[in-house]
Amino acid sequence: MANQPVFTPVKEMTYTQAVAELESILRMMQSEDCDIDQLAAYTRRATELLKDCRSRLTATDEELRSILADLEK
Amino acid sequence: MANEALTLLELNKRISSLITVASTQNVWVTAELSDVAVRGGHCYMELLQKDVERGTTLAKARAMIWSSLYPRIEAQFYAATGQRFGTGIKVMVQVSATMHPVYGISLVINAVNPEYTMGDLLRRRREMLERLKQEGILEMNRSLEWILVPQRIAVISAPGAAGYGDFVNQLYSNPAKLRFEVKLFPAVMQGERAPETIISALEQIAAQADEWDGVVIIRGGGATSDLVAFENYDLAVHVAQFPLPIIVGIGHERDVTILDYVANMRVKTPTAAAEWLIARGLNALDGLRRLGADILQTVADRLSGCKERISYLEGLISSMSTAAVQRNKSKIQSNLLALASVGSRRITPELARLNHVKDVMSSSTKMAIERKNTRLNTISELLDAISPQATLRRGYSITRINGQVVTSVSQIPQGAILETTLADGTIKSTTNN
Repeated sequence: MANQPVFTPVKEMTYTQAVAELESILRMMQSEDCDIDQLAAYTRRATELLKDCRSRLTATDEELRSILADLEK
Repeated sequence: MANEALTLLELNKRISSLITVASTQNVWVTAELSDVAVRGGHCYMELLQKDVERGTTLAKARAMIWSSLYPRIEAQFYAATGQRFGTGIKVMVQVSATMHPVYGISLVINAVNPEYTMGDLLRRRREMLERLKQEGILEMNRSLEWILVPQRIAVISAPGAAGYGDFVNQLYSNPAKLRFEVKLFPAVMQGERAPETIISALEQIAAQADEWDGVVIIRGGGATSDLVAFENYDLAVHVAQFPLPIIVGIGHERDVTILDYVANMRVKTPTAAAEWLIARGLNALDGLRRLGADILQTVADRLSGCKERISYLEGLISSMSTAAVQRNKSKIQSNLLALASVGSRRITPELARLNHVKDVMSSSTKMAIERKNTRLNTISELLDAISPQATLRRGYSITRINGQVVTSVSQIPQGAILETTLADGTIKSTTNN
């Protein structure tokens, strides 16, 4: 079994860093060096990054309501 | 002394008639506007001439435009310059001096040359831009890079203004529910106080610059478009040197201020500023979608590639094992045959050669032994001839005393026991004298 990669916690990363890592994961997966043993780990990581990036960009309805309420104060 | 005195009205009428002469009527004059105010449809203002170097007032006069002319003059002026009458504007006006008994001397304006104002504005803006360029700050804000998705926006606007409302509504009603954080830093957005209040808002934002991704300066909207206030060197310096990228939306499509030259971006309306920010976010969401889809596709491709390879290998291995056994069998067979033929071809001549060697060796050994024997015999005869034994046989003897060989008579003491060795034995004898 190949060594499992170690990742920075997503919360410690900026949006730009997270997107850069997503891009590098994609490139790595597309390269011939990609170890199939690590594919699952990288897929999990990519999913985590994507989810976090999306939640940074978009707000839930509840958050939107509270922001608008703040602005109207 | 009984002096005859004039009434004040009479004096004022005299003054009036003195100044209301051809040389003061319908004269074109250049001046700077100040304290412009419209009352009862008439427009009142002060005309100033300032010392260019020191900024001190060299001349000042009250002036007005009658309500019968003002709307037309104002509209023409705005159409040509994009400016309203306001403080700081340089104008070329056609005036007639008048003297009102109650209100005093006043210049009545009956025409304005907008080209002069336009030229003056452009010239001043050119000078400011040139100065900013010389100082190396003209491009500073313009060359700042926005972060990938600007979401924390500091807004400088007039509180409660329609433009700010438009901006916020647009921003928060985006269908993708992009998250934005907006804070208003209030400023006066028209008139003389605009530059200083905007600068102070910028300074507040700069003090917490790492909490914001960018700044949007938008006007409240409304009718008066007093853009001259923004043609301000200090304000331009602050905008140009601001550490965060600034979007300026204070002009209209046609109106440009110096801020449009120094800010990172210019938009026509507050709504356009919001749209640009939303587009940026949507773009990022799109990028994430694409990345996600690409990653999914890549994983699927790789997995199916691996499966294909495995099933190919499976097929290969099962067919390969029987083939390998078969191949090895026949290989052994052919090796056996080869060995057999090697036996007859190589071993027979070798055997013959060995036999020959054996013959040669035994005969040559015999010969060598004979040769050695002959030689030994010769040596033995020779040895015999020179040996003491042979000498003894010829009649010589060896005399010893106590084992020591005696070669002289003087060595023989009285009564010594002599041992005499002859060819066939030893005798002992005792000497007498």
